[in-house]
Amino acid sequence: MSRQLSASIVIATVLLAVFAGPDMRAASRTAKSATQAAQATGSVASTDASQDDPDEVRAVPLEQYASPVELLFSPDGAWLYVLCQESGEVQVLDASSGRMLKRIAVGRVPRGFALSPRGDKLYVTSSWDDRVAVVDTRLLRVIATWRVGAEPTGIAVDRTGTRLFVANRISSDVAVLDAKTGSELRRLVAGRGASYMTMAADGSRLLVTHVYPNPRGYRTVPESEITIIDPQTTRVVERMPLHSIAGTFHVALSTDGRLGVVAHLHPKNLVPLAHVEHGWIFGDTITVFGPDLGMGPGSAVEVPLDELDRYFSYPFGVAISPDKRRIYITNAGSDVVTVVDVRRLLAYIHAHPGGFAENLGASAYYVEAHIAVGANPRGVLLSRDGRRLYVANRLDDTVSVVNTASNRVDKTFALDGPKTISALRKGERIFYSARYSFQGQIGCTNCHIDSTFDGLTWDLEPDGFGIGIVDNRLLEDIRNTAPYKWNGSNPNIQTECGVRTERYFWRSQNYNDRQLADLTLYVRSIPARPNRWRLPNGQMTPAQERGRALFVRSVDNFGKPIAVKNRCVYCHSGPMGTDQKSFDVGTGKKTDPSGLFDTPQLTNIALTAPYLHDGSARSLEEIWTVYNPEDRHGRTNDLTKDELNDLIEYLKTR
Amino acid sequence: MREMGWLLKPAPLAGIGCAAAVLLSGFAMQNSQAPTASRSGVSAGASPSLEIIVSAAPGVMYPPEAGAGAGHEAGVAAERKSAADKLYPDGVHLLLVQASKATPLVPEFAASADANVSFDGKSILFAGKKTAADHWQIWELELAGHKLRKVIAGDGDYLHPLYLPGRRLVYSRQTGHGLELEAALYDGTEQLPLTHLGADDAPVDVMAEDVLEDGRILFETGFPLGTASVVSSASSGHPELYLVYSDGSGVESYRCDHQEAQKLGGRWGGRQLSYGSMAGDVLFTHGRTLGRFTSPLSAEASVVAPAAEYAGLAEASEGNWVVSARRTARQSFSLMELRPGTKRLKPLYAQAGMNLVEPVIVAPRTTPRRHPTALHPWTTANLMALDVRISRDGNLAAVPAEVRVETLGADGRAVDLGTAPIAEDGSYFVTVPGDKPIRFALLNAQGGIVRAQRGWFWARAGEQRICVGCHSGPEQAPENRIPAVLLKTTVPVNLSGGAEGQK
Repeated sequence: MSRQLSASIVIATVLLAVFAGPDMRAASRTAKSATQAAQATGSVASTDASQDDPDEVRAVPLEQYASPVELLFSPDGAWLYVLCQESGEVQVLDASSGRMLKRIAVGRVPRGFALSPRGDKLYVTSSWDDRVAVVDTRLLRVIATWRVGAEPTGIAVDRTGTRLFVANRISSDVAVLDAKTGSELRRLVAGRGASYMTMAADGSRLLVTHVYPNPRGYRTVPESEITIIDPQTTRVVERMPLHSIAGTFHVALSTDGRLGVVAHLHPKNLVPLAHVEHGWIFGDTITVFGPDLGMGPGSAVEVPLDELDRYFSYPFGVAISPDKRRIYITNAGSDVVTVVDVRRLLAYIHAHPGGFAENLGASAYYVEAHIAVGANPRGVLLSRDGRRLYVANRLDDTVSVVNTASNRVDKTFALDGPKTISALRKGERIFYSARYSFQGQIGCTNCHIDSTFDGLTWDLEPDGFGIGIVDNRLLEDIRNTAPYKWNGSNPNIQTECGVRTERYFWRSQNYNDRQLADLTLYVRSIPARPNRWRLPNGQMTPAQERGRALFVRSVDNFGKPIAVKNRCVYCHSGPMGTDQKSFDVGTGKKTDPSGLFDTPQLTNIALTAPYLHDGSARSLEEIWTVYNPEDRHGRTNDLTKDELNDLIEYLKTR
Repeated sequence: MREMGWLLKPAPLAGIGCAAAVLLSGFAMQNSQAPTASRSGVSAGASPSLEIIVSAAPGVMYPPEAGAGAGHEAGVAAERKSAADKLYPDGVHLLLVQASKATPLVPEFAASADANVSFDGKSILFAGKKTAADHWQIWELELAGHKLRKVIAGDGDYLHPLYLPGRRLVYSRQTGHGLELEAALYDGTEQLPLTHLGADDAPVDVMAEDVLEDGRILFETGFPLGTASVVSSASSGHPELYLVYSDGSGVESYRCDHQEAQKLGGRWGGRQLSYGSMAGDVLFTHGRTLGRFTSPLSAEASVVAPAAEYAGLAEASEGNWVVSARRTARQSFSLMELRPGTKRLKPLYAQAGMNLVEPVIVAPRTTPRRHPTALHPWTTANLMALDVRISRDGNLAAVPAEVRVETLGADGRAVDLGTAPIAEDGSYFVTVPGDKPIRFALLNAQGGIVRAQRGWFWARAGEQRICVGCHSGPEQAPENRIPAVLLKTTVPVNLSGGAEGQK
């Protein structure tokens, strides 16, 4: 094991199910596993028979899987930098042979990196540390870390190497940093969940995408955008709309800047989910844009990748070949790279001026190949001559090297990391795979992006059409929040992920018992990401303190006692903020089968708008100002605007 | 509904009341044409370990619509009870062919046909009659120990069984209104009618062809669906391939490029391929040519193959095809080897005076995905269309005023179940009777028909289903928007004709 990883050795101190997380497992560095848990999971935790307590396990080094997500070349193309999300490092490989040269620990859950124009510095975001690590590429070590915004994800450097741009997922903005000092110069508002970015080769534009749809009205068509920034003026110059899109990932520009492509999801959350076939739940699409379309300024066309009987789930990474003949897209849920013939695509676009985003028969006319790669392919990188395509396979710790002339994988580089696949890792693979749903259309992560949520409300079929609209709930730290579903009808995660998912979501045979156990283990293990509103050492701001007092208060502003059952803390009790029971708090609609709803946990509630069971409250404030007219959802109508703000400030710390 | 053959103008009840044909996997047998002699033996190039089971019959009528309807013109239930025997007038028996030898598989049976190999390759289902006086019943044979088990038995004929995942099987059952698909557990219990077409005076025949990897049943019947016009018209009514889930829900055409297929004589004999570049494709025949459905295309794709009549295809594990074929109608069908992409038929096995049809390979294969039924405990079904204007036949410029639902009476006549309004975005939401033939027509404000469905289909009791448009094709995914009809009410217009309802 490398020195860097030795520094991150895990001492098992809590149940294994607690520490293993989603794409962010590196977050928890200490854990202890019960014997049964270790045995059940087949994990790397091991027991010591000499100990008195059979549930105790001795401290064991627990090496993290690498989980590669992004790739970069050194300026001379000799080295391949591989950003490894779970092990929290950059692995440096010989780009030709795949030989490991160096492992550099960079922080928790890194999601993006960028190379300075001279190639002497590598800037890496650590999304769970809210920091950017600066790696000296000659020394191959971190020489500085800079604090940035909440959950930094994508990062880019301007052409002069003087400014850094960092996409902050939680604060939904782009921070502009001084590339020498890391000091923040400016914040630019981006789309909700700002995450991925690309800089035009001439440095004239920076394109930024975001993983959650922008806030809109109740049950309206989701809208996303590409935020276009002028790196020189550090201003947003355009917000290119992506209509009907929610879940936008990588964006790429051709070298000449005349052709752009962005990978995304096209959800069908407003249509009753009566079935899966015919692209009923998600469309896997890209949008192409730019002057090469020949359709006038600002034109963009959504392009489906799916077929009639086969889906290419979760388009994530994109690359355009130097000659602009091919577009490469990783389909993270289907374990393939889709190759699009640009000339044929443009011909098809011109022949179908009305658009064809819903035509599952279209891709036959421009998709050239599907290349099978490793599990959960994410970032892609083309060699400068376009002859080789490198693909980061997140869930099998490999990099596929594709010969772009033959569209075949020539080599596969294995990254450093554990070679045994734990039950937890198997469960994670299941979570991110679409293979279990009908015709491979969707996986768990379609609605729970990076094991979180999607910001959408859905019309599920079992209740009827247009009935029982439900907001998608966050998956973080849910293991002790049973029952599940808004109506509380699923007593455990096994039921939620097994029978219910098979019948009403996948509409196809899904998991065997072992797979369901693995998936359940994984879902139970998803941790809460660090709460950005909490102060160190459990301290609170004055507003948070005032809000907490309101949360637990027993007397209203008029001196009248508040009935026990009408106090916030009555239902939202315990460490998770739920008493795990159902109540009618007056939020039911006429289209709801019942007014009884499971009390939702409050974990990271600041992140998960919209709110209430059907997502009708666009903000926390609206829960009380719009949807609590009779104080049935707690006594709140006596509160002033400032007091409501205090209450919200407290809730954000949960 | 998109998959059921809409016309631009009101259509007559094509085929209703006409005689039906009995289709048996795309071929029918009759002794009116004597077989011609052919050589016997397996070619030297065939793998000696390859085990093929084939139905061997002295006579064969091919293609099916050429004369199979002759015995059905009366179209009455009593006449149809013996329909299965008409397929095998000179008898038929299963042969196990291996290394140039053919052995009767179940010599103790008076007749046997329609072999289907289990997913583990150890057993077969088949239709058989122990004595000539028996009905056709469904049997299972363990190949290693020759252990026989009667699976499905009853007063009528049961034909063409296929293994389903989840320890179930599907087969065709002779009913008073034609051959209908039915599913059951391996032990023969929990028999579940899957298809609901035809009437006593308007019989329709349905035969399962294959179970696809995704768990859906590929079946064959006349086009338009639910009409008995297979034998009645030269211009329409040829067989077509359809899909249904194993609980009888979700019936639809495999593809909606019907016009070209009907010109070629229809499609039948569908098999999903598992190997090579065509893995996942569904191969079928038009009679003298082969065609295939691929995942990317909304219309059929061509298949390079020699001109011949085809009566079955099986995929050998190495990727070669074993086909039942003959060059001319005067020859018997024999087993040939066909390498995909080539035009050469290599003789594999023939038997003098026998047509060897419907070959199956004895080998393990991938178990299809089980379909988890989500039917509700209702007697009715809820159907919605998102925008009736959308159609492969050309989008309508204006939104029709109403949709009319009809069901099929026992006498084969359409029964009006009423109308429902169509919302401004082209959506409607109705409750229809479950497990009965139904069809839709779009009406203008004056009650005139704008478009009407030519065929019939059904919705399973407890099914909730949505179509993008009316005959919009399986390539059309839904637009992401709330149907306007649901913004008015979430209660469907009850056009169930008095069915008991839902909750």
